Amino acid sequence: MERKKLAEGVFITTLDAEKFNRCRIAIHLRYTPLRQSATDAAVLPLVLERGNAACPDMTQLSRTLARLYGADLGVDLGAAGCDRVLSADICGIKDQFALAGENLSAEYADLVFGTVFEPYLVDGRFDPEAVAIEKETLARRLQSEFNDKRRYCVRQARRRFYGDSPAGIELGGYLKELPAVTPATLKAEYDRILATAAIDVMVQGADADRVADKLLERLQTVNRAPQPLSPLMAMPRTAPQRYTERVPALTQAKLCMLFTRGNTAEIPTLATLRLAMGVFGGTVTSRLFRNVREKQSLCYYCGSTALRATGVMMVDSGVEPGGEARAEQAILKELQSLQTALVTPEELEDCRRALLSGFDAVYDTLAGTESWYYQQITRDEALAPPEYEKVLTQAVTRRQVQQVLQGYSYSVCYAVTATEGEGEAADEKL
Amino acid sequence: MKNFDAPRAAAIRQKAAAAASCQVITLPSGLTVLCRTMPGYSTVHAMYAADFGAVTRNFTLDGRPVSLPAGTAHFLEHKMFESDQGDAFDLYAKTGASANAFTGYDRTCYIFSATGGFDENLDILLGMVGHPYFTEATIAKEQGIIGQEIKMYEDSPDWRLLTALFRCLYRQHPIRDDIAGTVQSIATLTPEILYDCTTAFYRPGNMVLSVAGNIAPEQVLRACQRAGLDEPAPAHTVSWQFLPEDGPIPQKEATFTMPVTKPCFALGYREAPLPRGDARQEILCDILPELICGGMTTLYRRLYDESLVNPDFGGDTVAPRGCCCIAFTGESAQPRKVAELLRQEIDRLRREGVDEELFTLVKNQMYGELLADLECVEDAAAQMAGAQLKGRSLASEIETLAALTVEDANKALQTMLREENSAYVQIDPQ
Repeated sequence: MERKKLAEGVFITTLDAEKFNRCRIAIHLRYTPLRQSATDAAVLPLVLERGNAACPDMTQLSRTLARLYGADLGVDLGAAGCDRVLSADICGIKDQFALAGENLSAEYADLVFGTVFEPYLVDGRFDPEAVAIEKETLARRLQSEFNDKRRYCVRQARRRFYGDSPAGIELGGYLKELPAVTPATLKAEYDRILATAAIDVMVQGADADRVADKLLERLQTVNRAPQPLSPLMAMPRTAPQRYTERVPALTQAKLCMLFTRGNTAEIPTLATLRLAMGVFGGTVTSRLFRNVREKQSLCYYCGSTALRATGVMMVDSGVEPGGEARAEQAILKELQSLQTALVTPEELEDCRRALLSGFDAVYDTLAGTESWYYQQITRDEALAPPEYEKVLTQAVTRRQVQQVLQGYSYSVCYAVTATEGEGEAADEKL
Repeated sequence: MKNFDAPRAAAIRQKAAAAASCQVITLPSGLTVLCRTMPGYSTVHAMYAADFGAVTRNFTLDGRPVSLPAGTAHFLEHKMFESDQGDAFDLYAKTGASANAFTGYDRTCYIFSATGGFDENLDILLGMVGHPYFTEATIAKEQGIIGQEIKMYEDSPDWRLLTALFRCLYRQHPIRDDIAGTVQSIATLTPEILYDCTTAFYRPGNMVLSVAGNIAPEQVLRACQRAGLDEPAPAHTVSWQFLPEDGPIPQKEATFTMPVTKPCFALGYREAPLPRGDARQEILCDILPELICGGMTTLYRRLYDESLVNPDFGGDTVAPRGCCCIAFTGESAQPRKVAELLRQEIDRLRREGVDEELFTLVKNQMYGELLADLECVEDAAAQMAGAQLKGRSLASEIETLAALTVEDANKALQTMLREENSAYVQIDPQ
């Protein structure tokens, strides 16, 4: 693994991919989102993915990728703490498997950089037709959020939890603001991202020097002014807020509980946080799985996750309509139990073994390897192999796990459940 | 594949077929062992698969007829994790492995991924599947958890859509019933029924052990030896068959409502069941939807640009024993218009023939996907087991794909995707 600085705020990281049939090139642009341009940012990856200046037609681009033996080109917008990451990546078979001896990896680099740096523009703005179509696509996507009740419940809970905080800016944009998105506003957001982002290119199994040259060539036309990225944050502690939304004919209710650390004074290490989640609700030997699901049969799924950058811990579960309050109390009881007493050595070791095994598997996929190192980049850490994290994980104590869990306080509970009379007894409602 | 000199193509195809190779050993017990050693990988992924899924409902065991309620195979999958010694998840927790299981229409698979303790993990896997343990009490406990799982599926529009489509297309084939069954059907299960299933279908001769990653075949065989799988297994006579369904489609259309934001639709075609071991027909079934409405077609482009479908719209084939269905599914504000355009495109292709360039590109894409699967330990083990359960090998699939011509597709279109064998299902918002 090697990371090199190519320009101010621009790095290239080369990762080994010897054992794989495919190679992969990814470019990540990490930037601070703005509330007013959140919907433009959400439309942008859809428009970029349609084509570029060299190949503006979406169908032709699909055919080009198929000609490259089904190479996979994707553009995505993700979150890294309060920041956003606009990513484009391409993954395809190595040159040695090309049936006509083509130089595939060179074409991969041109495609992925073309997508990011040379979009198809009409009079200096994005193509109005493409923008109109992709606004419709995003509208349908936003409207369909309700179809998946688990995801819907989690998002509704997040909206209540983060409110107007920068961490609450919707990754998918805002339906009511879509009409205001124009080819010009989209271009302005694109220019802002390109100018201010921290740019990282990750190369696996392709010629990194050639990729670096192609990247530098493209950057010559960009006015760069990289900006500082968002700091860690946490929502303030509040009394628990409960919300219930009733949906007719729902068969399984969804429950999402969010907890906050309240401040950034004592941010847990990643190793400690991983183990804390493992024993609470992140594994099949966790308290939530064993006690709430297996012993009490209160839900089909019940798991916990936590984000270090925004100080939030989430528990989501699928429960019998009318059984939300009982499930909520059972979940809180398990958390309280871990906050007041040390986890047993056996439970901690079970989780630790699962985590250590996972670290050993990092290098077994291209995406896993890339994600391992790019996650460290987003945390502004020195790049270290999984072996280093194994050492840190081995050192975590039961007391540290307890302290991490003690740091969370209950903040928001959102339930999506059946209408009155369709579930269990009414007195069990929230 | 691309058009260029034949000897070179043959050599590279051979290379690809070699990349798909694995060791195949049949033990005296009848168990087929597949092992793909992958140098440089840390992980081992093992899949122990039974040729027994949700559609196996009536069979004779040593001359005695046995009838299973809907959801039996899936229920059995949950119960196999328990023994009189406790839960297999607890045993895996001591090794750090990640374990799971799943049930399909025609198979039940038990899996683990690990980066160490391969002997112990193989012993757990072979032990839990080889030593069934059922009591009235443990069955009753599982009914609660599975009841929750069933309810989760009942809220899934995608799942409800497919089940409704199968009910339209088939009069009596068990694909009409949900894989997990119903709360009522699983309530009738007894230890005796479950033991009948394990005797009939969990015998070594009906199973495949597929292992990929950092492991040699000798290590897998030693594990089989420890589990007694190198000895002849008790002989049982098991027979089951499906009555052919070649009459008229039982129901041409179904509509119902759910809490969704936009209508969801499925246009399905009942096809002749696939002959066992015949990769050619199955690959054709996979190619046809791509030729009709895949990302490279003009139809897809029109549907997408006119905002008639979402990016996840597409066609898929479901083909367990005794049935084969090609289904086009999606979400649309004008679902009947989309279905009509699909029908028109199928008719056009039948009349005018398939574009040869598009056919070659789709083949290229599938070739790349096959190679991609082989570099991931999980996919490699799953693909090897899947091919073996269908009576073929991955290498033969690559060869079959390479040999397919546009004439094959045109010929298939003359008999497949016929209007008289189709049904349409629509879910409307409540």
